[in-house]
Amino acid sequence: MRDVVYSVRGLSVEYPTREGSTRAVDDVSLDIHKGEILGLVGESGCGKSTLGKSLLRMQSPGRIVEGELWFGGRDLMTLGERQMQKLRGRNLSMVFQDPMTSLNPVERIVDHIVETVQTHEPGVSEAAARDRARDLARRLGILENRIDDYPHQFSGGMRQRIMIALALALNADVVVADEPTTALDVIVEAQFLDLLRELRDEFDLTIVMITHNIGVVAEIADRVAVMYAARLTELATVDRFFAETRHPYSQGLLRSVPNIDLDEQSLSTMSGAPPSLLYPPPGCRFHPRCPHAMEVCTAEQPAMADVGPAHEAACWLYLDHAGSPPLEVVSDA
Amino acid sequence: MAVDLETREAGWQQDLERAGLLRRLLRARKWHGADWWFVAIASVMVVAFIVLALFPGFFAPHDPREQVGPRFLAPGEKPDVESLIIPGDSGITSLLDIVGDERVPTAVVEGTPSSQAARDEADRITQVLQDRGEDVRLRLRVQRHDTIQEALDELVAGDAVIAVASSAAFDEVADDYPSLDVAGPVFEGQTLSSFLLGTNQIGQDVLSRLIWGTRIALIIGFSASFFSLFIGVPLGLFAGFTGGKTDRVLTVFMDSLYAFPGLILAIAITAVLGPSIINVIVAIAVLYIPTYYRIVRGQTLSVKESLFVEAARSLGAKSRVVLTRYVFPNVIPSVAIIFSVNIADAILTGAGLSFLGLGLPPTTPDWGIDLARGQETIQRASWLITFPGVAVMLVVLAFTMMGEGLMEIFNPKLRDR
Repeated sequence: MRDVVYSVRGLSVEYPTREGSTRAVDDVSLDIHKGEILGLVGESGCGKSTLGKSLLRMQSPGRIVEGELWFGGRDLMTLGERQMQKLRGRNLSMVFQDPMTSLNPVERIVDHIVETVQTHEPGVSEAAARDRARDLARRLGILENRIDDYPHQFSGGMRQRIMIALALALNADVVVADEPTTALDVIVEAQFLDLLRELRDEFDLTIVMITHNIGVVAEIADRVAVMYAARLTELATVDRFFAETRHPYSQGLLRSVPNIDLDEQSLSTMSGAPPSLLYPPPGCRFHPRCPHAMEVCTAEQPAMADVGPAHEAACWLYLDHAGSPPLEVVSDA
Repeated sequence: MAVDLETREAGWQQDLERAGLLRRLLRARKWHGADWWFVAIASVMVVAFIVLALFPGFFAPHDPREQVGPRFLAPGEKPDVESLIIPGDSGITSLLDIVGDERVPTAVVEGTPSSQAARDEADRITQVLQDRGEDVRLRLRVQRHDTIQEALDELVAGDAVIAVASSAAFDEVADDYPSLDVAGPVFEGQTLSSFLLGTNQIGQDVLSRLIWGTRIALIIGFSASFFSLFIGVPLGLFAGFTGGKTDRVLTVFMDSLYAFPGLILAIAITAVLGPSIINVIVAIAVLYIPTYYRIVRGQTLSVKESLFVEAARSLGAKSRVVLTRYVFPNVIPSVAIIFSVNIADAILTGAGLSFLGLGLPPTTPDWGIDLARGQETIQRASWLITFPGVAVMLVVLAFTMMGEGLMEIFNPKLRDR
């Protein structure tokens, strides 16, 4: 197994709301390995973006109420805002979902890169930073003479490449990509994923890829982490995940992906809807929708446990518990 | 091959960028239609007003503070002054030319003020000459006639050297005496020519006052707007960017300032500060600070939350950099547009203040003061109130048209404010 570059321990993030605090990330522990692409999947509102931003401590207005973020031998939670600022861009950086609005409309592309370089390496001259920008542009397939253009002169795919260039400008150790391909069409998406893979190989980049598209994960990720209602439910290498899906939620997710090879008349769907994070159900959060729900599921939260080689899941099905007969399948229909 | 295509494409784009600014501005009319023409016409007007305000001395025919003609002279009307009439070939240009030992035979019409005027001016000239130490006098031998024709006949016959008559009376019969000319007004300093926009109740030239008034109006408009911009924009940026309690306190304060009826607040401030142009500027500036504050704060709030700011932060950008390179340049275009409309407002408020007799010293050539004075004699001399009114309207129209037009072109989202 490769080295762990970033380790999340018992992370909980809360958002203050009028009705009380909402826990968007609840007790998540996760290791990110050097040079891997970790796919973080889950439906909208499950807390995956919050988790991703928390890695850079950019979760504001949310608050990290518990947990440790170990990176480079330090717990980031003990660092001041100024020290965090130094890490952002230099060691940790982020690529956002919408490339159309994530560049400053009044600044040239080259100035974005120069600014980032000079923020972290004040000694670098303007000319040297420009050279670096040109070099990066070339490697990302952007014509060198176009770096003097403004963001609006680029297409969405190009802008996403520029965002990656910014993340790479200082060779960040971990890049958090928050749904980077959601705003792109499938062709550009495929090109972009190829580019990511190449860059990973070339720079030994570690990428946390947040997405709700399980196809993207299958395409590019080395490992998969599944989140449901603020909690981590399954964590496995991508091969094992698709071959031996353990958690009932993951199974449901995979079943609801259209598959052209199966001769199905209608797409199977999961019953029910994700729970409100303000009032999460007791016990396992998935139990109201789970086809295998047991009595213990309604009472106690399952912890993440090994369910195979390099495969963890949080489900009572795979845990020892005071044996009780399975409950009637709960149906919302 | 592919690269070749792309370079060619890039070259084409650069060609487009190389087109001169002027040509691009001209081409823009196809995109923006009526708005473009609005801005173009308004800009020409604004430039004209600015040139007038910069060089009023060059354009104004008279000193705006001096009495240069008879009172209440209508636009284009010739003043009726006692004038010196001479034979065209005599070479005399003023009474000074006929100073000497002899009494000068002077033809006048009986029963007109002409003989008195001639003698008064002759005495004055004599006095001036003796004060200078020259032992010469100007003495006239006044020869009275019943009609102007008789007086002029005598002049033609050579029995008189000069004649003195009112210019209006001479004009009536001038065609019959082609050999006679008007040398000038009898009294030095009077003028025979008409005034394009007439004169006011103390004989000042209305046109000159208008031209010099442009300077006052623009000084007030520009300075007040700059003043409020320089205070309102940083405050708005600061409040919007930091948020929290400071923001709330500032916003409540600005909103209460905004809620005041504008002119009343300006009146109160100038009444307290006393009359001077600086105080007027301060009073108007205070009035418009909240306008900038609100716009800038609102824009800052929205830009601050935008994805590109978050992206910059994720790359380690410091707050100062975010503020100066991300928030400020994205906020400033709407400020520039408000600025133009704001100048128009400030000019109007400035004119309103001086119309009410507040703010400017009464001798200032200012449109508001002229309007206030003209209003007293509106039935007798309507031009006194018409022209300053038109001037205020044109300046305000020019700036507003320019501002609104630019707003339509650059920031259609602001349209409904």
